[in-house]
Amino acid sequence: MMRIRRPRSWMQWLRRISQAFFLILFIGLAVSVRLGDPTVPGWGPRFFFDMDPLTAAATALAARTMEVIAWPAVALVIATMILGRFFCGWVCPLGTAHTLVSALRPRKPKAADNHRTPWHRVKYAVLVGLLVMALFGVHWTGVFDPIPLMFRSLTAFVLPGAQYGIEDSATAVYQADPHVGPVRATWVTEPVYQFFRNWVFQGDRQVLDGGVFIAFWFLLILGFNFWKPRFWCRYICPLGGMLGLLARKPLLRLRTDEQRCTGCGLCAMACPAAAQPDMPGKWLPSECYGCWNCVAACSRGGVNFSFAKQEDGRRPAVGEVDFSRRAALGSAVAGAIAVTGFRQSPQAQEVVYNPWLIRPPGALPEREFLQRCIQCGLCMRVCPTQALHPCSLEAGIEGLWTPRLIPKVGYCEYNCTLCGQVCPTGAIQPLTVEAKHQVRLGLAMFNRNRCLPYAYDRNCIICEEHCPVPDKAIYFVEEEVTLRDGSTTLLKRPHVDPDKCIGCGICEWSCVFRDEAAVRVTSANESRNSNNQPILPGGSGDSPY
Amino acid sequence: MKTNRRAFLQSAVALGGAALISHSPARAADQPLMSIARWSGDENAPMMEVAEKLTVEAIKAIGGLEPFIKKGGTVWVKPNIGWDRVPEQAANTHPGVVKALVRLCYEAGAGKVKVGDNPCNDIRKSYGNSGIEAAAKEAGAEVVYLDRNRFREMEIGGKRLSSIPVYPDIYESDLVISVPVAKHHSSTRVTLCMKNYMGVVENRKKFHQDLPYCIADLTRFMKPRISVLDATRILMDHGPTGGDLNDVKILRTVAAGTDIVALDAFGAELLGNNPEHIGTIRVGAEYGLGVIQYKTLNPKEVTAA
Repeated sequence: MMRIRRPRSWMQWLRRISQAFFLILFIGLAVSVRLGDPTVPGWGPRFFFDMDPLTAAATALAARTMEVIAWPAVALVIATMILGRFFCGWVCPLGTAHTLVSALRPRKPKAADNHRTPWHRVKYAVLVGLLVMALFGVHWTGVFDPIPLMFRSLTAFVLPGAQYGIEDSATAVYQADPHVGPVRATWVTEPVYQFFRNWVFQGDRQVLDGGVFIAFWFLLILGFNFWKPRFWCRYICPLGGMLGLLARKPLLRLRTDEQRCTGCGLCAMACPAAAQPDMPGKWLPSECYGCWNCVAACSRGGVNFSFAKQEDGRRPAVGEVDFSRRAALGSAVAGAIAVTGFRQSPQAQEVVYNPWLIRPPGALPEREFLQRCIQCGLCMRVCPTQALHPCSLEAGIEGLWTPRLIPKVGYCEYNCTLCGQVCPTGAIQPLTVEAKHQVRLGLAMFNRNRCLPYAYDRNCIICEEHCPVPDKAIYFVEEEVTLRDGSTTLLKRPHVDPDKCIGCGICEWSCVFRDEAAVRVTSANESRNSNNQPILPGGSGDSPY
Repeated sequence: MKTNRRAFLQSAVALGGAALISHSPARAADQPLMSIARWSGDENAPMMEVAEKLTVEAIKAIGGLEPFIKKGGTVWVKPNIGWDRVPEQAANTHPGVVKALVRLCYEAGAGKVKVGDNPCNDIRKSYGNSGIEAAAKEAGAEVVYLDRNRFREMEIGGKRLSSIPVYPDIYESDLVISVPVAKHHSSTRVTLCMKNYMGVVENRKKFHQDLPYCIADLTRFMKPRISVLDATRILMDHGPTGGDLNDVKILRTVAAGTDIVALDAFGAELLGNNPEHIGTIRVGAEYGLGVIQYKTLNPKEVTAA
């Protein structure tokens, strides 16, 4: 059996350094948004989103506006037309995660495993289907787009998981305090714990409702690398598909030196993309990540990347994209069918509203919101009270992993406007603090079968205390009640003033009941939806009787 | 240096002895138990300056902090930093009071002064917007963000509360100084020095079903030795959260004392209440934590300018 030489090429190492740099930068940005000044998000959290041409194109289609197209995305499109899918090989943090997992494969692939199959078309079909859906206003690219996908997975799973693991382990050691004589385990664990607490996590642990499903999706696509190296990037990734279509005829091309090539196939064995580097004239720039593995694998210098033209004045011939007009049409029809399928619910057609779907402050009206939200999870990451969580089906299939406020877990901090400041697509509009004070997210309601002063004749009104509205949306009326033993007592019984309630949810959060609060906020009265405002403003009216 | 068992024991005994000797020299019997400092200076002076000077005078009038502070020991200054509000809104202790108090603790020989609370709102926004984090750091304090993983269930043996998760670093400090702002409170009518101790525990929501006894139980457990009441500006209504400047009354007053019940009684009067009618104060007196008739202590009244 032939031994594969350890690949050596300085370009390959440069590519690895680039991958490490962008992965660390990506994680660093996700961490940084929670550090520092609590009124200003960390530096540049939008950087990767602004660079993503799939997000830009789909959001522009869905929201019918060009304003969401940022110049880094345009720059990437132009660079891809010249250099090919270098983004996938050198930049994409999800691609790097796949590279790392693929490296764990026990067996190297055969050359034939890295030739094109009909399954490589799937990513183009996914791309066309998602863009057609976007055209009809169903913005679902975020479920597949690697940048939102990776960020969401960090936010909902990787970072909270790391914090959970580190904090609970260190706390267990701290409490058990194992030691041999004067030598304590906490001498090691506590500095590590304090470092992460002060410099990485800074703040209460996040744990997101529905995070398990995001974790499942993330781990599933990572696991597929054991089937085929970079399975996701080869077959599924719509951003890879988009960049592949742009890279059909790049200026930078793989050249085979016929004098040196022995046709051994080592280059194809090293190819993570099935770009067919071993087939002169049929190398596939639409599949190639420009990773330089093939160049490094060839001990004879048989293949190399070059901008130069051949002796005949032309660039080397390349293989065509295998995606017919018929396949494109089929994908488009499938996308359109998906749209109608997604909308088959009374809620999706706005016949009714989900009482528990409370959107962040500054969120656009639901239809427009869904046309922009890319489910990236940046708002959830930055939320200081962990009020925002990814929807499962609360907003329909269409609204999968879009943010909603769960007041029992976290309330909307009165003076905080972070979610609108970081939203990369304007689904949540940036608000000034003054404007935010006027936004109603919903309306509080008391469950008098639960609330202590009503149901159990005990005083409480912790909700009224927490209400941040200066003249109190929750007020109480003192009532004299007769107790079981016949004695009487004064009880403060709370009420909601619907003209003042902003639906921030701190009442529900602060309620003594931790299973189901006795005061709950529903989406009724939300500012962004005039059809969901049952309350006539201006207090109770004159009696008609 | 070589350490053997004998040397170790010797140094341990020496250190222990030093700790015993330096611990809290007894207060002279003739020192006042309570002081009230009022502003007699310029009405337009910045509140930061007013608060600092009043605090210095109030502490000086009860004979300084030296008798309370172990040389080199740890002091936890416990302001009310409950809410994401700015100083003018009178929902949190004035940063000037905290700043002056931290400085006085160091001057009295404290080795480490820590400042921290368990806010109701987001801790970063509350510490920031209250102005307390910046002011305390300026005076050299360590500002502590309470760590939710480190609360420890403690037996407190109260009438209503038998055990509750307490923040160990606060409880184990050599001295804890409760330094609240005087505020209206919708449940207990007033929130002052005793109620301020609710910021050292978790699982406090159920206290609201019997706040007077829960607060008195907790206060007794914390064994207050000195408290400072910030009445530079007080919240007359819509407490404890406030937010409306129309509810704020400017008093330019700071009180200090060893009797936490008496201080609370004084604060209740400032807020327009009869202290006898305030549950926490009544139960505090019932527990023997202090006297309601604070005037019987002959509080020393001083002015600052």
